[in-house]
Amino acid sequence: LGTERRLVKEAQRGSRDALAELYSAHWGRAHRAAYLVVHDAAAAEDIAQDAFLAAVDALDRFDRRRPFAPWLHRIVINRAIDWARREALRRKVDEPAAHPAAEPPRQAIGEEMMDALAELPPEQRAVVVLRHLLEYTPGEIARMLELPRGTVNSRLRRALDRLRTTVEAAE
Amino acid sequence: MRETRLRSLLAEVPVPAAEEAERRGLSMVEEAFAQRQPAGRAVLPRLAVSFAIAALLAALMLTPAGAAMRDWIGDVFTAGVPDAEPGLTEIPGGGGLLVQSPSGPWVVQGDGSRRLLGRYEDATWSPRGLFVAAASGHALSAIAPDGTPRWSLSATGPVSDPRWSPSGFQITYRAGSSLHVVAGDGTGDAAIARGVEPLPPAWSPQGLALLAYVASGGELRIADSNRGEVLGSAAALSGIETLEWAVDGSALLEASPAALRLREVTVRKALAGLGIGPPRPVPLPPGATVRAAALSPDGATIAVLLLFGGAGERPPHSEVALIERPRTSLRRLLNVPGPLSDLAWSPDGSRLLVSWRDADQWLFIPTDGRGRVRAIDGIAAEFAPGDPGASSFPQIEGWCCR
Repeated sequence: LGTERRLVKEAQRGSRDALAELYSAHWGRAHRAAYLVVHDAAAAEDIAQDAFLAAVDALDRFDRRRPFAPWLHRIVINRAIDWARREALRRKVDEPAAHPAAEPPRQAIGEEMMDALAELPPEQRAVVVLRHLLEYTPGEIARMLELPRGTVNSRLRRALDRLRTTVEAAE
Repeated sequence: MRETRLRSLLAEVPVPAAEEAERRGLSMVEEAFAQRQPAGRAVLPRLAVSFAIAALLAALMLTPAGAAMRDWIGDVFTAGVPDAEPGLTEIPGGGGLLVQSPSGPWVVQGDGSRRLLGRYEDATWSPRGLFVAAASGHALSAIAPDGTPRWSLSATGPVSDPRWSPSGFQITYRAGSSLHVVAGDGTGDAAIARGVEPLPPAWSPQGLALLAYVASGGELRIADSNRGEVLGSAAALSGIETLEWAVDGSALLEASPAALRLREVTVRKALAGLGIGPPRPVPLPPGATVRAAALSPDGATIAVLLLFGGAGERPPHSEVALIERPRTSLRRLLNVPGPLSDLAWSPDGSRLLVSWRDADQWLFIPTDGRGRVRAIDGIAAEFAPGDPGASSFPQIEGWCCR
């Protein structure tokens, strides 16, 4: 955290190297988190980019005593949820018969995981990603998504019930 | 199910073209970073520039030519524009005005005739001027310009800042701190956001169901007005008082007393995505406070009312100026002692209307800088019939439609 504070401070003073270090430390997880929620590589890239641009925009006002990652992840996840909801709605309107009729071929475990996540509503995907990829506590997730903690817990429970088969098959 | 296994599965899912995406992202972020002005570094140069300009102005004021300029600022319009017209007999530039007085909103027709609509506040024109939407306590009403009420709805909180969408199909308003959208016929009222700042939202001008507003906490959001989904967000200008969308949809104007800035907005096909660009500050003269800002009907020009505080022996004075986009050079149209308020473009963009309360005048200012400023005297009494000594000055709410 001390290193991060130093990097934020230096970036606030105009250091391009400090900004690049911050970017390098946080891009990967932010991008992956967005991808796991939206399941679209281009959208995930846009969302992660937008979050970092918002960070640059707000850099001068950023309170260095606070950790950088939760602030960034909050933007990423909320935008990813918005995008996934909108996309789901668009598919419903534009492609009513888009469900595959045939049994899909056997897939690699990463694809199976993505398929299993795709079966979840975006809100449940988001809490799974926040809890099990980014490792936030339910209380922290509740604050990030502005939800009651009970809602976070119930979304997590429902999501894990539905993911159980995929995860157990991988064990 | 073991959580550690789930964690590793999530971490192992391959993200397509991750390295290329990271490189592209870094290049975008570095570009945005290069364009910002680091607060810590900019202080000294800005102060130095301010001192240099102050010194230059002081020197100018002491020279004969400078004395002439001081006289012009201080004397020419001391008690209002000379040769002001004694009453409102027409609206220079045409169209209709919506004017809020203590007794309610007035509709002023092009020939100067006017009608009081009733006990309403926060009135706003429909896009073609066929109706007015206005607030009254916890009620939102649509009224014909002849004063006939068309419909009214009860809200859950005090209604404020209604704004009609450019398509005419929707009206947004605040009920307490919630942002609502209702169809133009008064049906389908729904809250689309909670906890919003007390600032009039801005509709997308292109007929899209998009609404820009500022959420409490200072987040500028662009949302789908049908569902309330937030499609894009960014940090709003601190202390923001004006939010406007350029008519081509390409930019948002944010104004606060201390700053003015533009942001590019990109709407992807079928609302599949929306990008809000980094803020581009619009330079202001040193010592200026922005009292009002408004985009011209063609979106190419920003009009600003600037107030310069009375430092030293100089009394406060105001300037009306134009800033052309994308260049940001300032073209001054008018300079008067004391504060100006309200700022409205004529529908054809040929004039600006501003209020000069100290002089009890409205000023119609040609925007090409060539014609004569037309001043109308006795405005307070015009909107307080039966009270010739009226002390309250009406507020200009809108100038609509040729």
